[in-house]
Amino acid sequence: MRKLTVMLLVCLITIGQAWAQTRTVTGKVTDENGAPIAGASVTVKGTNVGTTTDDAGVFKLDVPATAKTLTISSVNYRGQDLAIGSRTTLDAVLAAQSSNLDEVVVTAYGTTKKPDVVGSIAKVNSEVLENRPFTSVDKTLQGQVAGLQVSSGSGQPGAATDIRIRGFSSISAGNAPLWVVDGIPILTGDASRLTTTANLLSTLNPNDIESISVLKDAQATSLYGSRGANGVIVVTTKSGKAGKTKFTFDTEVGYSDIAYQNPDYTPANAAQYFELTREGLINAGIANAGNVDAIMASNFGFGNGQDFNWLENTTRRGQQQQYNIGMNGGNDKTTFNLSGGYFRQEGITIQSNFERFSAALNLRHKINKKFSVFLTSNLGVAEQQAPLAGGAFGNPVLSSYFLLPSRNAYKPDGSFNITAPDFGPGSLHNTIYTAATDKRSLRQNSIRGTIGGEYEIIDGLKFTTRYGIDYNVLEEDQYNNPFHGDGFNVSGRAFFYYTRYTTWTWTNMLDYTKALGKAEDFTLNVKLGYEANKSTGIFSNVQSQGFPPNTALIVPSVGASPIQSTRTGSDYAFVAAPFSLLSVNYKDRYVISGSYRRDGSSRFGENNIWGDFWSVGGTWNIDREGFMENQRIFDQLKLRATYGVTGNANIGNYDARALYGYGANYNQTTGSTITNAGNPNLTWENNEQYNFGIDFAILKNRISGSFDYYNRLSTDILLNEPLPPTTGLGSVSNNVGEMVNKGVELLVNVVPVQTRDFKWDISFNYARNKNEIKKIATGQEQTLNGIYIWRPGYDYQTIFVRQWAGVDPANGDPLWYVDDTKTATTNNYNAAQRSREFGSATPKYFGGFTNNLTFKGITLGAQFVYSGGNYVRDSWGGFYAGSGNGGAFGKVVRQVNERWRNPGDNATFPKYVYNGNKLAQNFSTFYLNKGDYLRLRDITLGYNLPKSLISKIGLTNVNIYARGANVWTLVKDKNLPWDPEQGVDAQSNLDVFIPKTYTIGLNLGF
Amino acid sequence: MKYIQSKIVLGVMTASVMLATFTGCKKEFLDLRPYTSLTPQDALATEPDLRVAMTGVYAGIRATNLFGRTVPVLGDLMGDNIYQHPQNSNRYTQYNLMTMPVNDGDAAGMWSSAYNAILRCNNIINSPLTGTPGLNQIKGEAKAVRALLYFTLVRFYAKPYNESPSSLGVPIVLTFDITFKPARSTVGEVYDQILKDLGEAYTDMTTFTNSSLMHKWAARALEAKVRLTRNDMAGALTAANDVIANSGFTVASAASYGAYWGSATFRTDKVETLFEVSSDAVGNNGFDALGYITNQLGYGDMVVSDPLFAMFTDTDVRKAIYRQSTAGQTRHPAVFIEKFKNIATDRDETKLLRMSDVYLIAAEASVASNATNAQNFLNYVISRRDPSQAPVVETGQALVDAIIMERRKEFLVEGDRYHDLNRLKLSVERSTNYPASARSIAYTNPKRLLPIPEAEFNTNPGIAGQQNPGY
Repeated sequence: MRKLTVMLLVCLITIGQAWAQTRTVTGKVTDENGAPIAGASVTVKGTNVGTTTDDAGVFKLDVPATAKTLTISSVNYRGQDLAIGSRTTLDAVLAAQSSNLDEVVVTAYGTTKKPDVVGSIAKVNSEVLENRPFTSVDKTLQGQVAGLQVSSGSGQPGAATDIRIRGFSSISAGNAPLWVVDGIPILTGDASRLTTTANLLSTLNPNDIESISVLKDAQATSLYGSRGANGVIVVTTKSGKAGKTKFTFDTEVGYSDIAYQNPDYTPANAAQYFELTREGLINAGIANAGNVDAIMASNFGFGNGQDFNWLENTTRRGQQQQYNIGMNGGNDKTTFNLSGGYFRQEGITIQSNFERFSAALNLRHKINKKFSVFLTSNLGVAEQQAPLAGGAFGNPVLSSYFLLPSRNAYKPDGSFNITAPDFGPGSLHNTIYTAATDKRSLRQNSIRGTIGGEYEIIDGLKFTTRYGIDYNVLEEDQYNNPFHGDGFNVSGRAFFYYTRYTTWTWTNMLDYTKALGKAEDFTLNVKLGYEANKSTGIFSNVQSQGFPPNTALIVPSVGASPIQSTRTGSDYAFVAAPFSLLSVNYKDRYVISGSYRRDGSSRFGENNIWGDFWSVGGTWNIDREGFMENQRIFDQLKLRATYGVTGNANIGNYDARALYGYGANYNQTTGSTITNAGNPNLTWENNEQYNFGIDFAILKNRISGSFDYYNRLSTDILLNEPLPPTTGLGSVSNNVGEMVNKGVELLVNVVPVQTRDFKWDISFNYARNKNEIKKIATGQEQTLNGIYIWRPGYDYQTIFVRQWAGVDPANGDPLWYVDDTKTATTNNYNAAQRSREFGSATPKYFGGFTNNLTFKGITLGAQFVYSGGNYVRDSWGGFYAGSGNGGAFGKVVRQVNERWRNPGDNATFPKYVYNGNKLAQNFSTFYLNKGDYLRLRDITLGYNLPKSLISKIGLTNVNIYARGANVWTLVKDKNLPWDPEQGVDAQSNLDVFIPKTYTIGLNLGF
Repeated sequence: MKYIQSKIVLGVMTASVMLATFTGCKKEFLDLRPYTSLTPQDALATEPDLRVAMTGVYAGIRATNLFGRTVPVLGDLMGDNIYQHPQNSNRYTQYNLMTMPVNDGDAAGMWSSAYNAILRCNNIINSPLTGTPGLNQIKGEAKAVRALLYFTLVRFYAKPYNESPSSLGVPIVLTFDITFKPARSTVGEVYDQILKDLGEAYTDMTTFTNSSLMHKWAARALEAKVRLTRNDMAGALTAANDVIANSGFTVASAASYGAYWGSATFRTDKVETLFEVSSDAVGNNGFDALGYITNQLGYGDMVVSDPLFAMFTDTDVRKAIYRQSTAGQTRHPAVFIEKFKNIATDRDETKLLRMSDVYLIAAEASVASNATNAQNFLNYVISRRDPSQAPVVETGQALVDAIIMERRKEFLVEGDRYHDLNRLKLSVERSTNYPASARSIAYTNPKRLLPIPEAEFNTNPGIAGQQNPGY
């Protein structure tokens, strides 16, 4: 490594020399009405020599003597090239445009002009990311990009979010896209180890983001090679712009509530529960009419006069606030952007909250005409409290459904009720008490930064070196009090888990752009580089028990008995040597592009370290053809076609190795055991993708959009191939099978009305993906994975399920169909065959649409998201709606109202039998609901105060608004028990409720 | 122009040098090793390594789905000793109802945990290292544990040997091979394998350290039990007599009985316990431990069937480790289990082979050949549990019944009862404490056996068509 650093320094010093003579050009940039355009970019074509205009639209630029052309561009205007000739004054008039045809798009390892874009790329601008009531930017992306599926099963602030671009491509390797921030791949997902759900992206303040590019097809992602298979999300943070220093201040406050609740699935009250239980105990033969009340009294608190609503008492109105300040400016040499933010959100469930402090600084300095250096840095500290989820006794959501209404959280004197008979040892926990005393906290500290330099070796040849750090420290504390709950039996316990992931990435790249041919009709771009990346994980656990009899001291040091004190780690190294790209542009009409990259990963066996990834693509900008010059219909017409191979190595760091692990200890002496069979032949998963696309804009850009068709074939899929349990191991990592995703993506933007004072924008996006497994393990017809079945010809998340056939009116028995023919039914669960074709947990289609109305200073925006064609599982329904299963737990209203009671009843639920009626509670289609929904993701009414008014008090912008998020939800299935958004696997898990949020906000600029 | 060219050359050279430098070290750069694991070769290289791996075997059989909880619970719950109280945490509900589905998680867990532990044993037994007493001891322990695991599997998943030795047993896996797709061997073959392992283990092992590790006499006692289950009365008696005469182990006295159950540590004094699976303050199953589901300070789901509790005389020292609930208590009326008292820090061990078992095996094996001896063995155990009880004088079937009743009382909540009922081909007749639909389980009821897990059928074509009837 040291050798490398020295070489780099030598390189930088050698090339960091002064440059030849220059001259000065000045000018003014205005719009068609003669109004000055501030902040327009003025650059010498083919170089990075440039500046921006001031508030009066004026620029002054020292250009090299050799410079021929100035390129002038600004957001929302059509760019212009002006020949310099011998002039020293150049004025430009830019024509307005609505679809930003000439804007620059952030692509892999750089930026590209729109006509040059060959791949499928969607761009999201800062306006739709800023000041949203979401804890992380991934949640904000929902519905914004065609083909980007975003779903989170938990409403916990700071919860993990599932993202899929163009479907599932892998089985055991990850399906999440790669995130790149300011040129550096970063770690995303949930890195916590003791916390129910967490999200590394929650430390990144969305207000610090300038733009996001979603790279979808193989050409767009291929430069990321082995990490591009699942798509790439490229984030560019806000950078400085030369000119007067500008300040912004944004704030938003509000509250949240449960977004979706089905009244049929609220907990039954005491009278209803005892009505059921009386019937169930007698039906089960456990009690008779004579002793049933006594049994209920001694076991379930019957007759104690309590009727406590646990759901109401474990939920609340969550408060929400955020403040962001920003400062942006600079001069010809140095530009900067500095910002700070604070964000706080309370979950709707008790013991659930989130708080973030963030700061960012971006600097860019031109040492001389050729040489510039830059820094990007982003710091975030996010602290959250997250309650348990799923079946944990300490989960407040579980307790709100499972605890009996006869168990009051408080004693008559107002103190907490934490003792027998209601809350004796081993009982469900009084989560209202544990929420007050116990601690389940996570603090995530992230630093994401890059430093680097750019040197222009000759005109058009640029060398960039960039060293990036992605540093994440997670500190998790857990404390369980000694009096009640998980800590009771061990007299209190506490945990501290420390997790650190440090990743450095070093990228070096030569980028050469050259106009060729006599008339310079051809533009050649070559990129050549290499990249090395190493990720180090460090994990330390501390746990102790035996705490003093109070709840004030909560750290492990206080505990008398140490249980865990561990330190381990996990490392990953990765190189791309080289990566390269070649593209040729003819008059902006035809662009062809090809790339190649060779990646090595430490995750694979010695013989399979390397993988080769490449792409080819072309685009035809028909609107730039001569024959299109005189037509008035098309403002843009562009065809794109690409093909490429990317890879996926997103598996465990040591999966290829045969391992004997330590830690199987006995009598406190060390023990070892085989933990991994290993597979020396394990190698890259490949992803071959075709993409055909068309971009268009017509009627003076009033209607524009794009359409893409893709076909992604994953081969050599990395799979934790299940082994027969008799081998002694559960699975082995293998390259097994093939899977294909085919789909279409459509984006349409329409501006139905555009006048001086009134504008109406509509944007609609739609994606449809069909996933199909082509091949699974050799010699296997099907593979089961939980509730799913993998079978050639079918979707990856096809649910393997017995089909519910209703209730036998004669005796109240549960019935299932014997097989897929649905001709016969049985009351024997084991005798019913599972359907292999019932349906999938994956939506068939999803998307979003947006309406924005602007009248003078007033804006009204509404964004809807929708998704459909899938099934959602009520994972815990077998308990609260299981016809008696888990008889000692609470039941929902629907179980009470729709149960079979007498012969002849046509009921939804079978006869209620205490502790279960013939396995009615077991997984069947009874516990599946259609997942189709339409949701008002965002509605905002805002008012921009007139400039004339605010300029008097020295302000440049004042905007006030009221916003609602998730305020309205329409579902197709009226029996859907839980929120339709349950993560990409569509299985509910008694998580913190998904919120709807109401906020008011203020944006100031000065 | 020349200047420009030299710049290009310099840039390209720099890049090439950097690339070359990097490529030179990239092999090491990409060779990253785990922090807590070794290769199997490195982990099993020496005799001390094998001892560490053997420790891993014992940790493996402590799994909740094995001797840590499921094996002892099912051994009583599938019989008539304990039931799931209506107020419960919903664990083992299907066994209370005897309506186990084919995809039952506890049945699947026991199967995979057992074969995982068998794999741990196999890797030790198959180690090329040989020749020292220490290695023999380690391999002998592994063989004895492997025998115990197959004995457990064959009794839960296959018909009793007494029914038919040629009926389907369980797959015999003796080497680590992820491509192996075994069919079920016959019950007879599985028993032969068990006895082969136990015979070798008895010879291999020379050291007794404590009751939490396998040793010669534990292997011999297990052999007695296996032979009794196989109806080989002479063989069972020979093995049991060997243990009684030569091992030095004794049956706990009435006076020490209460303290015997209160202790959470393994024994070195050769009193009562031949073999048990140890849990300590750090290595334990926590909320999923046996004690937690039987003790009222834990989940307390499992309680004793009322008629069984009524059979204990007041002078029986065993009665004191059960407790009749009183009015106002949660779960009243019920008989609570207090056999496993340590559910907080150092948890109770799971007793798997006890001296009283050896005596009762000797008694049962002697009934036909020498009724007096049989009475003596039985009365010895009784005298150390209820000294004031009159000695048993019955013979023939009445004597067998008395021995079985004594077993039921002696091994309550230790997972013995269901296996006795199966090997004796008796119907399970449960009390009114159980759900009405599950009070009389005929010997022929297919739910008397566990389902082979679906995961096995999904991945192992060799076992196709060999599911137990009724699933």
